[in-house]
Amino acid sequence: MIGRAGFLVTIALRHLARRRRQTAVAVSGVAVGVGFFLAVSALMVGSQNDFIEQLIDAAPHIIISDELRSPSPQPGVRVFGKGAVALHGYKVRNEVRGIKDWQAIVSAANSVSGAVASPSLTGGVTLRLGGHDEAIGIVGVEPEIEKKISTIEDKLRVGHLHDLETTQGGIIIAEDLAKRLGVQVGDIVAATSSSSSGRSMRVVGLFKKGQTQLSSGTGYVLLREAQSLLGRPFIINRIGVKLADPYAAEAVAARLESRFGYKAESWQERSADFLSLLVTRNVIMYSVVSAILLVASFGIYTVVSNNVSDKRRDIAIMRSIGFSEGDLQFIFVVEGLVLAIIGVLFGWLLGYGLMTILGSLRFPIGGDVERIPLDRSARQYAIAALVSFLAGSLAAWLPARKAARVDPVDILRGAV
Amino acid sequence: MSAILEARSLTRTLAGPKPVHLVRDVSLTIERGAFTTIVGPSGCGKSSLLYLLGLIDRPDSGELLFDGREVSALSGDERASIRLARFGFVFQFHFLLPEFSALENVMLPMQRLGRLDRDGARSRALELLTAVGLGEKSANTPDRLSGGERQRVAIARALANDPVLILGDEPTGDLDSRNSARVIEDLRALAHEGGRAVACVTHDPGIAEISDVQIEMLDGRIEKIIDRRARLPAA
Ligand SMILES: Nc1ncnc2c1ncn2[C@@H]1O[C@H](COP(=O)(O)OP(=O)(O)OP(=O)(O)O)[C@@H](O)[C@H]1O
Ligand SMILES: [Mg+2]
Repeated sequence: MIGRAGFLVTIALRHLARRRRQTAVAVSGVAVGVGFFLAVSALMVGSQNDFIEQLIDAAPHIIISDELRSPSPQPGVRVFGKGAVALHGYKVRNEVRGIKDWQAIVSAANSVSGAVASPSLTGGVTLRLGGHDEAIGIVGVEPEIEKKISTIEDKLRVGHLHDLETTQGGIIIAEDLAKRLGVQVGDIVAATSSSSSGRSMRVVGLFKKGQTQLSSGTGYVLLREAQSLLGRPFIINRIGVKLADPYAAEAVAARLESRFGYKAESWQERSADFLSLLVTRNVIMYSVVSAILLVASFGIYTVVSNNVSDKRRDIAIMRSIGFSEGDLQFIFVVEGLVLAIIGVLFGWLLGYGLMTILGSLRFPIGGDVERIPLDRSARQYAIAALVSFLAGSLAAWLPARKAARVDPVDILRGAV
Repeated sequence: MSAILEARSLTRTLAGPKPVHLVRDVSLTIERGAFTTIVGPSGCGKSSLLYLLGLIDRPDSGELLFDGREVSALSGDERASIRLARFGFVFQFHFLLPEFSALENVMLPMQRLGRLDRDGARSRALELLTAVGLGEKSANTPDRLSGGERQRVAIARALANDPVLILGDEPTGDLDSRNSARVIEDLRALAHEGGRAVACVTHDPGIAEISDVQIEMLDGRIEKIIDRRARLPAA
């Protein structure tokens, strides 16, 4: 059986070898299609992965805040909720904001394998130097834990996160804020909040500017420091969780939220708009590049179709000798497939070359020279090959059917 | 003598505004051990009958029995495998595959049948080509062979799978008289000594005269069947 297939393949190869020029044209069509498919999809997928990576890294994978998706029922409603009694104007219980029982949430999150949870407290303060005021949001963190869940450390132009621990009253602010305030590392600024008297803070580090995820109005301080500055001792209002697998964020967030009641927002939820935009982008990209590959397979159709018309006599010979319709169909489909395979191999080379060129380009962005993000994974090569093989055999299928249907008697009679 | 092929009232008409009656009500038997010729004026339907007998074309009506089995209603694939394993064809015009050498052309039916491996097919093909005097030119492609040489390659190819029935449509049409005589002698020997059935269309009265059975056609019908074996003294 394999022997026969191999034998039929040699017939197909002989046919192609006879038409070198046409074969070369069809092969280069496929090669160009595959090459550009690879280059375009490497760009698209590469930039998409880069976006998503930044999205994922921008903030913890899950952020648990002291908000509730729906307000918790007041005690009166809780007791008589289903009763036929309408309750109005009862005394509303005031609750202290902040995540209650946060240690339990942190340990629950930590129990997910590879996960790290970092508690923090955020709030608003005003920084003042001389006559200049700047309102900023501060984040109080435990540097050793926060370092594990965020990429803050990489975003620092000057200083380190753990400098917060070694310097009394240390604060890390954005470099452009520092510029506006006219301070440098080591300088003192005054910080005040609505619930505490002012205190002096020493600038120990600066963020690079232009970090989308860190607005220039954010400052990092020690958790303890934030709690006293904001007048909320022992309070936590935010827990950031980093997971070993970012894509598990939605499930883990849902679990934590249903267990503890606090809003647990995964990075996917946070960026739902953006992610749906990416889906649209992917649909567009794959339709365009599939069209390229499809058009490339027209060349295959032409070659196989011409071979079938040219070889009607040979087809009649083979049929009368005893080759079956299936044999003929197979021979000509193989011709298409062989063209696709050779085309894909050259296309891979071309694509590899294009990607190497794209990868060597450098663009200055925000002061840093950046490479174009490219996805050079084997997956793209496999997709390109698969689509081309499918398109190629499909393009060959129609003329091959025509070949199989040739009635040898028509040819024999015609030759008489 | 056993009948290998038996036709009963075979009819073949090309449909159309003016139907062409290629073969009308033909009944005959082709026997093993006999060298049969089909003769008649040009256009009388000899080739058309041969295509029916060779399972290449299907009759519109009538029966065709191969080895006692009705074959006109078999599927295309079943008929193809009978052609491959049991029949050998030599057409009026040599039909070789141009991309393949003489040797490869002869190997073709063997490789398709798969009874012999590649080496086996190769050595048998070389034997067959040597038998028709082309051992030296086995590597030539058809465009580097003369018309007569191509016809001999076609004969070698017809014998590739050791067929029980050999059908020829003027197999010697392109050959000079010496080569023609040799081919006819070989075909007769295949019938007489090998126990095969050989049926050839021919215009050559000399060939028809030495055949065991001579079928004369006119206008799609059988005019006359001359069986020369009957006149031979029973040996
Ligand atoms: N496709 C066709 N359309 C119309 N008529 C046809 C067609 N093919 C063959 N014929 C006619 O059918 C008849 C039989 O043709 P066939 O080839 O069987 O004759 P033949 O006896 O083999 O002739 P020759 O000795 O010249 O080879 C001829 O009269 C021919 O003109
Ligand atoms: Mg004829």
